[in-house]
Amino acid sequence: MPPLLEAHSLTKHYGRTVALDGVSFEVNEGVTGLLGPNGAGKSTAMKLFLGLIEPTAGQALILGQEPYRSPEGRNRIGYMPENECLPRDMTATEFLMLMAQLSGLPPSQARTRAADVLRHVGLDEERYRPMHEYSTGMKQRVKLAQAIVHDPVLVLLDEPTAGLDPDGRQEMLRLVDRTARNFGISVMLSTHLMGDVERIADSVLVLESGVLSQEGAVASLTQETEALIIEVAEGVGAFAAILAERGVEANADGNLLVIEHAKEEDYDAVRDAAVDAGARLRRLAPARRTLTDIFRGGPA
Amino acid sequence: MRQPGAEVFDLGYQRYTGPREGRNRARWALFENGVRTLLGIGRGGKAKILPVLLFISAITPAVVFVVILAFIGDLAAAVEEGDFVPGPADYYGIVAVVLVLFGAIMAPELLGPDRRDNVLPLYLVRPLTTLDYLVVRLLAFAVIALALVYSGQAVLFAGQAFTSDEPLQYLRDNWADIPRILLVGAVISLFISVATLAVSAYVVRRAVAAAVIIGAYIVIGGVVDGLTFAENCTDFEADFGESPFFEDRECDYLIGDFAPYLGLLQPAGVTDNINALVFDLDPQSPASLAVSELPDLTPVAAYLVWVIVPAAMLWNRYRRIRL
Repeated sequence: MPPLLEAHSLTKHYGRTVALDGVSFEVNEGVTGLLGPNGAGKSTAMKLFLGLIEPTAGQALILGQEPYRSPEGRNRIGYMPENECLPRDMTATEFLMLMAQLSGLPPSQARTRAADVLRHVGLDEERYRPMHEYSTGMKQRVKLAQAIVHDPVLVLLDEPTAGLDPDGRQEMLRLVDRTARNFGISVMLSTHLMGDVERIADSVLVLESGVLSQEGAVASLTQETEALIIEVAEGVGAFAAILAERGVEANADGNLLVIEHAKEEDYDAVRDAAVDAGARLRRLAPARRTLTDIFRGGPA
Repeated sequence: MRQPGAEVFDLGYQRYTGPREGRNRARWALFENGVRTLLGIGRGGKAKILPVLLFISAITPAVVFVVILAFIGDLAAAVEEGDFVPGPADYYGIVAVVLVLFGAIMAPELLGPDRRDNVLPLYLVRPLTTLDYLVVRLLAFAVIALALVYSGQAVLFAGQAFTSDEPLQYLRDNWADIPRILLVGAVISLFISVATLAVSAYVVRRAVAAAVIIGAYIVIGGVVDGLTFAENCTDFEADFGESPFFEDRECDYLIGDFAPYLGLLQPAGVTDNINALVFDLDPQSPASLAVSELPDLTPVAAYLVWVIVPAAMLWNRYRRIRL
């Protein structure tokens, strides 16, 4: 089976503006985060894979097919855009039935799928209400539902948590996670919220100014570093001084102390210093890189 | 004794293993959606008012014509005496105006919401192309327009048959009208569908699009009629029903000999001229009168231009939409 998505020297120009510049990568099963600041080329990449626009050069392939030239190949992918995209006057059921049929499902099957998927996204009760009456969270769930109603192998989600309050955001992330883990539908998640990707993605692609700057498994990118993080209840400065007396250099970082290149014996030194100073030690753990660090070119 | 009972199991998410029917299913689904939108099916009561009113407006002239025919009695004698005997061509002259109103009001409803609500990208990431979308939307509109004009003609034809002394003989004598009715109905429906959808493609707001369509129809029609008026040969009070050009070609057009060509720019004339050509009628307006000076195929060529140009505008608009 070919990779779900393949980019081969993928290039897109808008006039003189280069949105994507010879990008190559593959996306396989699981959840893939597509990260990058505004204008990095995330949306352009998505549109190329969806067949909405034609590449200037190179190839964007979905399941081995070019979506721009082979519309038939698009019936196994789903798309959830960032912006509002729901017809105001239709009910969720009617809309999902239409979207399922647009992907080739017969009407009777489309009806069953629409009901099932709306139940899975938690809109069972409201499915016969016109969508202009829905809250932002409900609209996001319908957007996800229409993207998976035809049971695609891959769904492309553009900023799925945009505009949601913290609870709504958690709920949406849980739903996306379920889509991948329980429903078996691979997900490509475009976002600028690194926390979202860190929480649910298996792998990540980072685009900056139209080029691929990082790629790999989230677990390996956020692996442990040589740094050691120390958190004490109070007196961070005093504790640093005590450590210094023992020959251990620790830098204050807010309420934390960080030993940049910790050695095995530094753990014992911290423990002994805490006992001697009567300091309440809350955390003593190796630091992990976050995606934010990677994104900002932080410590490797 | 065993107690009756039931248990509900949540089977969880089920993968879809049924048939996938490809692009034709997608096209049909979009067509069906277009027809439902135009007729207000699945919407509230308010959405059905306009389509119902327009259907009533399209049928009413046919019913009135049938009533007139019933009162005339001997149609052959009436024709010989030069009395007005309404027929399918007269009906098309009226229903074309109803169809323009239908297009002005409903064409923006068919295209506007998809763009206003940003639904278009969702359709086009499915196995549909922009061309599929436009053709299917056009077909949905044209089918309703055809239903509108043909239903009126069906009422009129049946009325004519049943008000005649011998209905079967009437059918034998007038069967040749049927292909003409079908042809002109298709000609009118296609033109109005393409033209009104083209305007709707450029103007998203329904009220503005409707105003532009009706305004253009009336204003351009009036201006062209005014400019093609000929002093000495378009005296309708004296020559109604006659085409004076075949007797006296010395017409003094206000804008000179260019007038017959200018007449081709009148929107109402686009279909009126074909209607006159197919049913062998006399011109009914100054512009049509001027156009009748031109060779017979000229209105046909003008019609094709009037269909192809809006179709190209429609395609051009959607080709450039940034999704």
